[in-house]
Amino acid sequence: MQNKIELKRISHHFDTSEERIELFHELSHTICSGETLAIVGPSGAGKSSLLSIAAGLEAPSEGTVSFTIDGNQVDTLYMRASSGFIFQQFHLMPELDAIDNLALPLRLKGNKAAYDIAASWLDNIGLKDRARHRPHQLSGGEQQRIAVARAFVSKPQFIFADEPTGNLDARTSASVTSLMFDCALETGCGLVIVTHSKELAACAQKSLRLEAGRLEVAA
Amino acid sequence: MSKLKLVAENSLRDLAHSDGRISLLTQTLLLAFLLTLTLTSGSIQTYLRTNLDQMLGSDMVIESHTPLTDSQIETLQGMAAGTSRTVLTNITLTSGTNWERAQLKIVDSNYPLQGTLQIGQAPSAQQRPVQRGPSEGEIWLDSRLATKLRLKVGDRLNLGEIDLLVAAILFHEPDRILEGHSVAKRAMVHRASLDAVSLDTAKSRTRFLIAADETAQGAIEDWAKKALPAATLTKKYGGQHPLAGFWTRTENFLGLASVILFFLGAVALDMTNRRWLAKMRYRLAIYASFGTSNRTGMLIALGEWLIGFLACVAIACSLAAIAFGLIIQDLQGYFPGLEVGWDSLAALKTIGLVFVLMLTLQLPSFIQLTRASLLSLIRSTSEGNYVWSRLAMGLISVAILAIAYSDNWLLTGMTLTAITIAITVMIILTWAVIRLGDRWGRGKAGLLPFAFFIMRQRLFAKSAQIMGLGLCGLLLLFTLMSMRDFRAMMEGYGRTHDGNLMISEAQENQIEAIHTWAKTTNSSVRSLRPYVSAQLISVNGKSLADYMQKPSDTLATLKDPIRLSWSDTLPANNRLAGGKWWQPEPENWQQISTEPEVMTDMGLRYGDTLTYDISGEAYEFTLVASHAFKPGGGSITFWFQVPATARPHIDAPTRYMGSMELPERAWVALSQLWQQHPTLSLVPLKELTDRFDQTLGIVTKITSGYAGMILILALFVLAASISGFSADDRQKNGLLMSMGLRKSDCLRLNFYDWGLTAFIAAAGAIIGTWMSGELMYQSQFGLTYDPDVLWLISTLLIMIGLVCFVGFAACRHALNSSVRDLLAE
Ligand SMILES: Nc1ncnc2c1ncn2[C@@H]1O[C@H](COP(=O)(O)OP(=O)(O)OP(=O)(O)O)[C@@H](O)[C@H]1O
Ligand SMILES: [Mg+2]
Repeated sequence: MQNKIELKRISHHFDTSEERIELFHELSHTICSGETLAIVGPSGAGKSSLLSIAAGLEAPSEGTVSFTIDGNQVDTLYMRASSGFIFQQFHLMPELDAIDNLALPLRLKGNKAAYDIAASWLDNIGLKDRARHRPHQLSGGEQQRIAVARAFVSKPQFIFADEPTGNLDARTSASVTSLMFDCALETGCGLVIVTHSKELAACAQKSLRLEAGRLEVAA
Repeated sequence: MSKLKLVAENSLRDLAHSDGRISLLTQTLLLAFLLTLTLTSGSIQTYLRTNLDQMLGSDMVIESHTPLTDSQIETLQGMAAGTSRTVLTNITLTSGTNWERAQLKIVDSNYPLQGTLQIGQAPSAQQRPVQRGPSEGEIWLDSRLATKLRLKVGDRLNLGEIDLLVAAILFHEPDRILEGHSVAKRAMVHRASLDAVSLDTAKSRTRFLIAADETAQGAIEDWAKKALPAATLTKKYGGQHPLAGFWTRTENFLGLASVILFFLGAVALDMTNRRWLAKMRYRLAIYASFGTSNRTGMLIALGEWLIGFLACVAIACSLAAIAFGLIIQDLQGYFPGLEVGWDSLAALKTIGLVFVLMLTLQLPSFIQLTRASLLSLIRSTSEGNYVWSRLAMGLISVAILAIAYSDNWLLTGMTLTAITIAITVMIILTWAVIRLGDRWGRGKAGLLPFAFFIMRQRLFAKSAQIMGLGLCGLLLLFTLMSMRDFRAMMEGYGRTHDGNLMISEAQENQIEAIHTWAKTTNSSVRSLRPYVSAQLISVNGKSLADYMQKPSDTLATLKDPIRLSWSDTLPANNRLAGGKWWQPEPENWQQISTEPEVMTDMGLRYGDTLTYDISGEAYEFTLVASHAFKPGGGSITFWFQVPATARPHIDAPTRYMGSMELPERAWVALSQLWQQHPTLSLVPLKELTDRFDQTLGIVTKITSGYAGMILILALFVLAASISGFSADDRQKNGLLMSMGLRKSDCLRLNFYDWGLTAFIAAAGAIIGTWMSGELMYQSQFGLTYDPDVLWLISTLLIMIGLVCFVGFAACRHALNSSVRDLLAE
């Protein structure tokens, strides 16, 4: 039972009217479930692009990406159904309250116990008493904790997070970070985080640095 | 199951939101309007149709002075669904020592094919409708004839050797309008009653009432043109008949109203769609972020939309039912007999059409939605300019639906052409003005160049807004304009039928009595024209009998004295049909003008000398002009007119002819007037004019109602447009203010923005309206297009002002929230 994402000699670039923006060239890497990985690097290096390629949202300009779930090679659609995302902007549904937001993925998967599971998650992240509050009534940290829980609630094989603490102060960041890693450990899923934060990167088992089109294992 | 519940919850939540509400309200209003329109126009069409039945008695009438041969009759009966043969002839009826000329209508057992006859037991008795004419052995007399002959219902009357029973007083026949304002006294018998007598039918007319569907009517028309070249043909719909023409115009107006409603609804929906798309895109992206497949996402979006539509159907149906009930109830007060006809099939068809319309309008958005990507949550992706596909899609689908709905291809085609031209103009103007403005402003400081710069950046969004507003303005302006002209035209119709009592002959000393009576009974004398009784005795010195042998109606009439009237200027209800109106000099008094039909029938030419016997003396006149009837100035027109300067030369008593309008209460008082002046000859036309007034009234009310609907929908477009773009505007304003721009500058910037939007939209609206008028007026409404430029421009200025004001107010409101709020968006 092995879940993994294999990036084989991938290159990516954008063509604009004036020039070609080369992001990286012939990168290879394998991400396994049960592993936590941080991608760091300067702004504009192509971290978000690498993340979306690894998640199967975008195809690389060159090279191949293959996904293996439960030992079988799967397509991007299947991959998408087995992954979760955490964003810098939280992206909670503004019209739903906390528990509705949490229950949403389960209900979409047709889970009858959606609200019970959501309630226990809410308890886990310490926001039980805010169940009926809408996102605009919550602080950024609280919103992001709900977003993290929402990503894990449907038990995906991989979680992708793009700057999950980018909008938070140091103290709140720490709580969100520990929540993410605890959940990843508990569920055994693969966690891929793009970040600027050294503290966050340090928590990951593996840390890669994307700079000038090359991927290196960071110290 | 839980997914379904989620969909339902989402829809409900959206409806509670202002965007969702505007969208729902627009859809609901559009559907409610169209439903009300379908239901009411269905009821009204049924009503008008029966009303028309009451005026023609059939679908089609063929009238001929020569009797049809048996084989011709057979052919005609073969083509028609039903026929009724009527013979009209002039005879003298006698009863004791009294005698009177009358027009005898000989009918068969089928008469009339449609509509009802009105009869009564005595001239003043209650009228009652009957389906068939008199039976064998009976005769029906009109009230004046019965009075003249001193006969009552139940008396007997001899016609040749035949003894007939006076069975009823005849008030109205459904084909009466074919005789126009004829004042001949009327009698009616069944043809079987006359088998034993031979009436002189040389001068009689044969009239066939025909029931036939549209294709059969066409076939009969073609056949009649070849087989019966001398016959005249009148059709209920689409014929030369004034009422039929009126009916076609009304139908066209109603059709246009629904097409315009369709378009306006489409514009409003398109505006709300923008926001809907943004919201759904975001929602689907988030769903995708926790592993929901695109297919599920799309199904959810579709489901939500469907639930919204169902909600809108439910509300719209109840709204339409209430509105329809109220409208019909209100109209019933004026038009007894109008019924609440629940045509559920038509209603379902409308709902189906609106469903298809909304689905097609939504289609480009759905297609966009399939491309919704989770990537947009990670980094901002371009929204994609789908203005063109949306525009094309919207226009095509709405056009197809409008054609399907209105079944008048030509009219819809014209509407579309006008709209397309207007849109093209607006697109060109938008691009030209904004691009040129931007180029001009490049390198210049100041707010106006900056306004151009910002508009240039949002060219696509701006174009959509301008086109929406412009289209809305065009439709509104055209509706208001055609409403105004349509109403004026109908008033013109009303005037040709003015008065419900004809004064067919009044002596000079009776005029004052008429005026006093009118004053006391609140009646009004609509027209009163003087004449002398004159008989044409010779043309160019040849006696009439020698001059003209060819028999015609005109000749028959001219063998009796006719009415000769005088006037210096051309009467208001006449137009010059040929020749030259008379010179004013008094010595030129011996001039005369006649109607073109009389000239044709009698073979007269300008310059001919006509000699009349007036009170035993001969007078000569030279034919110099011809005049024809023109609607809009009273119904009385004379065959012959001479200059007013001729009157002093003629030694004869003056008589008067005219019309009066009597209110309901005055009719009972009419007998007083008659008692005082038994020789006064009055012909009530109540039945005829009442029907006409009813029809006009109902149409006026309905057209005003539709204009009201369109106005409301237009306000909705405005609201949708402002709310749809307010998020953009808020963001822009917030940004500008955060960059240190003062609030007043921000307002000024918005003012430029809205002013330019309104200006371009207005230009498009004006050009489109102009085009529509040029295209449609003549062919669809039989009106000459004579735009009132001042009215157009002032209406437009009001519209621009309103748009600017509302936009400005919305922007002020937005600016009052702080920069922090603005940026928090
Ligand atoms: N659709 C696009 N078209 C053209 N260029 C693009 C596009 N998307 C991204 N880029 C460019 O690719 C480069 C990498 O973008 P990416 O978002 O992956 O950077 P990043 O490493 O995540 O930066 P940051 O840390 O600031 O988020 C940037 O220079 C960006 O300008
Ligand atoms: Mg990034």
